[in-house]
Amino acid sequence: MSGRPYRFSWLDLVLISGVLSLVGFIVYRLFFVLEYRWNWSVVPTYLVRYDEQSGQWLPNILLEGLFTTIRLSVWGMLIAGILGLFIGIARTTRRLFPRLCSRTFVELIRNTPPLVLIFIFYYFVSDQILPALGIETMVRNLPPAWQGRLALIAAPPALIIPFLSGALTIGLFQSAYITEIVRAGIQAVDAGQWDAARALGFTRSQQLSCVILPQALRIMLPPLANEFINTIKYSSIVAIISIQELTFQGLQVMASTQASIEIWLTITVIYLVLCLTLSLGVHRLEKRLNVYRR
Amino acid sequence: MQTFRLATCALALLVLLAAPFASRASAASIQNDLAQASVVEQIIKRGVLRVGMDTFEPWAMKDKNGQFIGFEIDVANRLAEDMGVKIEFIPTAWSGIIPALLTGKFDVIIGGMGILPQRALKVNFTEPYDYTGMSIVAHQEKAGGFSSLADFNRPEVEIAVKLGTSAVAAAKKYLPQATLRLFETEPQAYQELRNGKVHAVVGNAPKPAFEALAYSDTLFLPLAGTFTREPVGFALRKGDPDALAFFNSWITGVREEGWLQERHRYWFETRDWVGQVQ
Repeated sequence: MSGRPYRFSWLDLVLISGVLSLVGFIVYRLFFVLEYRWNWSVVPTYLVRYDEQSGQWLPNILLEGLFTTIRLSVWGMLIAGILGLFIGIARTTRRLFPRLCSRTFVELIRNTPPLVLIFIFYYFVSDQILPALGIETMVRNLPPAWQGRLALIAAPPALIIPFLSGALTIGLFQSAYITEIVRAGIQAVDAGQWDAARALGFTRSQQLSCVILPQALRIMLPPLANEFINTIKYSSIVAIISIQELTFQGLQVMASTQASIEIWLTITVIYLVLCLTLSLGVHRLEKRLNVYRR
Repeated sequence: MQTFRLATCALALLVLLAAPFASRASAASIQNDLAQASVVEQIIKRGVLRVGMDTFEPWAMKDKNGQFIGFEIDVANRLAEDMGVKIEFIPTAWSGIIPALLTGKFDVIIGGMGILPQRALKVNFTEPYDYTGMSIVAHQEKAGGFSSLADFNRPEVEIAVKLGTSAVAAAKKYLPQATLRLFETEPQAYQELRNGKVHAVVGNAPKPAFEALAYSDTLFLPLAGTFTREPVGFALRKGDPDALAFFNSWITGVREEGWLQERHRYWFETRDWVGQVQ
């Protein structure tokens, strides 16, 4: 590919004009044929608002939703990372029982649609576990300063239970995928490393934690970062269980203002900017890591 | 032996005499337990009333400051104020709102929920605090000249409705022949109509009329007014007589005051509030 001088041919011209006319056609349909009253003024209104009391600009529901999406993804990824690491190690042990259990877990989750899983987790798993722990009463009795801090990293007391169940749901769901990344990472380390570690007198767990995992982690980092981007995208599904992330807030605004296409487009752009930024970050990370490799 | 028999008799007599007291004591404690377990008690203890609802013009909407406004919101706010507690709104997708109530995600649904028999099997409804009706808005080209329900009641006619609403029940009852298309949200259903993909949308008044006003060049109202009259109540979990009684008393009170009717007029018959959302 590289090295050959680039020449603009008639085929390129045909392709470019084809793409442009298709885009033009879609725009024309949207703005001239579609029976729709455009109302773009609602977008800035619901992104930021001017607070009369404090006299400053504050994020409005759409941006609040974006923050919730980010919080949800971070917590979901943490849960998924911890679970995935342990289940991933269980996938590579010599013992049959942990291997069977972890394999079952992964296959169960990977072969069911995410939407169905989310309903199951939400109504059956997190609903049975979380209320029993009495988290909500505990959170409500926290001093206001701590409640504010909690709202910053998770959710305000009123929404803490749905938030936690959403994070747990995403975490459980994504952990299956991370399990496979961990397994592949461990198996990608040269078998000779195990032998060398054993020859030095390491126990099995020492071999894993001191020799294999540090090397596997370097292999795992790029796909893990990619999985984080996937987590952000998947987090939009939890709108269906009424967790107030970006998509859900968007639906709320649509029902209030009837400006559905504008809001959908806005949400799309927000997700795109967020995930694209992270993608570029991941790309640079991969490049950096490749420098250190043999 | 004699003394033993006497003692036994005395004991039996004592037991017989004490029995009613014992049962009364346990009944009292059951009543006490019931009252303590009531949602009303929990709300007072928590100091917060948690209300489940969904965005639905003009029942509940998000205004420009991200605050909820609407008829339903006024009702819930007034209720919390009268109970002396704070209020928390928990917006929930309509199709899953009853399971969310049953699994205790909030205390009560105040969300313009129509009192339907199949819903009443799952939840307890208070007495009606408002009445709503279904109306129909149709596409001028696709449903040109339609002027009665019978015109729409044909297999080739497609009707868009919001999933899980009483509009679905009304459409099935009055338009059994028509083909129903279900949508998760209202805007989706109306967009489908404006695109001319369906003949009509059946929905709670006054929204269809507002829609016909906003798009008067493509949509029209085939029937004047509403073709059903539905009572709307609060929905709460079963097995809680105290909460039901309390909410009923509250509704009776504010209705007699004329406050409910006044709020209804403001949200449903005027457009003074539109500036707050757009």
